[in-house]
Amino acid sequence: MQTEERQLQFTDIHNDVVRSLVVTGRKYYITLGCAIVLMLACFFFPWFYQLYYGIGAAGMNSPTVWGTYLASFIFWIGLSHSGTLLSCVLHITNSQWRKAMYRSAEAMTLFSLMVAAMMVMVHLGRPWFIHWAVPYPNQMGLWPNFRSPLLFDVMAITTYLTGSSIFIYMGSIPDFAAVRDRTAGWRHHMYVLLSLGWRGTDTEWHRLGWAYTFLAVLIIPLAVSVHSIVSWDFAMSIVPGLHQTIFAPYFVVGAIYSGTAGIVTVMFVLRKYMNFEQYITKLHFDNLGKLLLVLSLLWSYINILELFTGWYSGTSTEYEQLKYKLFGFYAPLYWEMILFCGVAPLLLISNKFRTSFVPMLLLSIAINIGMYTERFLIIATTLSRQYLPESWRVYVPSLVELSIIVGSVAMFVTLFLLFVKIFPSVSIYEVKETMKIPKRKGIPEWQATH
Amino acid sequence: MSIWDRFASGWREFRKDGYYEEFDYAWTMTIDLDRCTGCGACVTACQAENNIPIVGEEQLERGREMQWIRIERYWEGEYPNAKLKFIPMLCQQCDAAPCETVCPVTATYHNQDGLNVQVYNRCIGTRSCAVYCPYTVRYFNYNDHHWDAPLEQQLNPDVTVREKGVMEKCTFCVQRIRQAKDHAKDDGRRRVRDGEVQPACVQTCPSEALVFGDRKDASSRVSKSMSDARAYRVLDELNTQPSVVYLKKVDADAD
Amino acid sequence: MASNALGLFRDPDSALEAARRLKGAGFARPELISPIPVHGVEDVLGPKKSVIRRFTFFGGLFGALAGFALAAGTAVLYLHPTGGRPIITIPPFLIITYEMTILCGILATVLGFLISARFPAIRERVYVPEAGVDRFAVTVDCDGEERFRRAEAILREAGAETVRSISEGES
Repeated sequence: MQTEERQLQFTDIHNDVVRSLVVTGRKYYITLGCAIVLMLACFFFPWFYQLYYGIGAAGMNSPTVWGTYLASFIFWIGLSHSGTLLSCVLHITNSQWRKAMYRSAEAMTLFSLMVAAMMVMVHLGRPWFIHWAVPYPNQMGLWPNFRSPLLFDVMAITTYLTGSSIFIYMGSIPDFAAVRDRTAGWRHHMYVLLSLGWRGTDTEWHRLGWAYTFLAVLIIPLAVSVHSIVSWDFAMSIVPGLHQTIFAPYFVVGAIYSGTAGIVTVMFVLRKYMNFEQYITKLHFDNLGKLLLVLSLLWSYINILELFTGWYSGTSTEYEQLKYKLFGFYAPLYWEMILFCGVAPLLLISNKFRTSFVPMLLLSIAINIGMYTERFLIIATTLSRQYLPESWRVYVPSLVELSIIVGSVAMFVTLFLLFVKIFPSVSIYEVKETMKIPKRKGIPEWQATH
Repeated sequence: MSIWDRFASGWREFRKDGYYEEFDYAWTMTIDLDRCTGCGACVTACQAENNIPIVGEEQLERGREMQWIRIERYWEGEYPNAKLKFIPMLCQQCDAAPCETVCPVTATYHNQDGLNVQVYNRCIGTRSCAVYCPYTVRYFNYNDHHWDAPLEQQLNPDVTVREKGVMEKCTFCVQRIRQAKDHAKDDGRRRVRDGEVQPACVQTCPSEALVFGDRKDASSRVSKSMSDARAYRVLDELNTQPSVVYLKKVDADAD
Repeated sequence: MASNALGLFRDPDSALEAARRLKGAGFARPELISPIPVHGVEDVLGPKKSVIRRFTFFGGLFGALAGFALAAGTAVLYLHPTGGRPIITIPPFLIITYEMTILCGILATVLGFLISARFPAIRERVYVPEAGVDRFAVTVDCDGEERFRRAEAILREAGAETVRSISEGES
């Protein structure tokens, strides 16, 4: 088998990526159509109903004023930590296996952030005034409250969105140039504009390399700060269960965990449906699996810390919260979360499991379901049990909320499908860098295929 | 005024001594739990005075109550020794309010009367103030409310009707305080006298369990009430510095 | 008439060698056009200082000052005491400062990149389509037929597959 396969050439990756952009089959159109219809029916339609009727269309009530919308918001922001953060860290450490997949991972980041921003709009009671959270001079002389954790959120997410879009664009400039010559018509014009006239001279490569590295160095602390800031929406309160110092690291670890699981899902889909089998290989899944295992152990560690410290105290509000979480109304959800996020990933210890594609896909989906449950539980269990027992009340999401969750996934899929046809979803020049070039001395031998 | 002048005047204002502690008036309420019978007249009066909507049975079953002051009831023991403890719970107008810090658009802040004000026009409905409040005394308008005829004729013209998507809570009947201060100013720059302004709940309480006034005035009824030996504040350990002082019920057959 | 000599190579090492020889032979700065970044090109074609560094630094500095000024200035312009906290609270404002630093640093880096690499390219420049796929190209300015022939000789010596001449603006 090995002797029959010929070595991958530069032209192969070039042709494959161009083909993925230009050749569109029926399956693509059907999937895109379904995604758009689902998005309109499950996200926009219920949202407009909620705009008309009020937040009462959701299931929230007097003490549990936050619900699945905020849980979704945090889930999507968490998912966004995969792409850009991982891409930057792996770039700084000069790892080779990131090269084929980081473009799509960064795209995942961008679209998760967009969906998260939409969830904020859905969550607000009067979203038509959302512009008041942005500092702009106005005739009222009013400014937003910069002491508020929610405002740190606004600043952090704006910065992260800007940074991610710039990062993915900068990395794609040479690829736009590469694709520019092989396309015609409106695509050609689009790529001419997007590639800014890139030629590939050594000066240009040098400048791009430096700019890219600086961006990566700036984005890593940014990404860590973004999810810490999102966690402080909760941790800055004085309500039991939310007021915990461990929230910032907990959320960051959870975000990277959930995001990496998201990358595995996206890689599976990309590999299968865009015919990138030669570039996204068992090696990638193996490495992602190892990363997931480490993150899952970290996540379990933090959960054990919470349980241990809460239990040890004996009678504090923390202990009450814990009892409610484990054995109260939401107990089935809690145990499901532990199963999907803490126990199931232990399968990743097995080498065979990590290199099989479909089991990895299923596990990654299970992890994300578990992580969503975790965010939901943080909100639902803490708000239903606050200090004064008179206001203890249980929260059950309504149909509108469940539909919007489904619609948000459809929105993400739509955006990603559109991305795949405009951006080269596998980075051409980086994959070329990893290929064997005749008479090349110096770089470690790393095969693009096994 | 140019932007520099505004900045300078703001700077001078908050750099004054006592900007955070000294208020014009320090409105305080004491609730004597010994006198409170749990009749709920305060709840009704508040609803009448502040145009609080009647949410209806279905919404109440879903947990969306709308009572700026509520009587909390706690049952102890079993029949025939069942005891009921109740405590009226309203916005404590905390001096170190956790709800104020989190509003991203400053729809709630501390004014110079020591009150925690809620600006309905500015609220965009993030509901984070309700999450941060440990007393859960903030209520959200989950939908638009309407008053069947002829109930809309009973609405108080001094108070707005809130649309869906805004947060509301007890304001110590700020419209009455504002009116009293206006009268005092018309009378020639005097201070509001003790007993001149009372929120609706205080005015209505049949057993005079609620006492309201300015704690900066040492001779006011509320200052004397506050210095009672039974005085305590709910969730004091959280250091929210509430302006509502409860007087503990002396239970003769407590063991 | 100014024209360029262009040599196409299959691998980057030969291209680098050719560029080194061209430089040694006294030609004006040769350019290496490639589909992937070639490591080691700085040693051959001379060190390049990256001015982007300065953009990032000053952008970040500006962002830090602007961020703190925004947060503290707006807090003083319209006084809103909240929660008994000071009007100018340092920890929350430091977070705003941090985010603005990174935002302005990122934007300044992009600006620095565009300026120093002279993007977007408004006027036409020498372009080699094969170099976009899998060949490494070395181009050098030659004025005159004689210089061109010398360049051609050096390129063929170093192992060029094809050598041709292109004038400015032609692809």
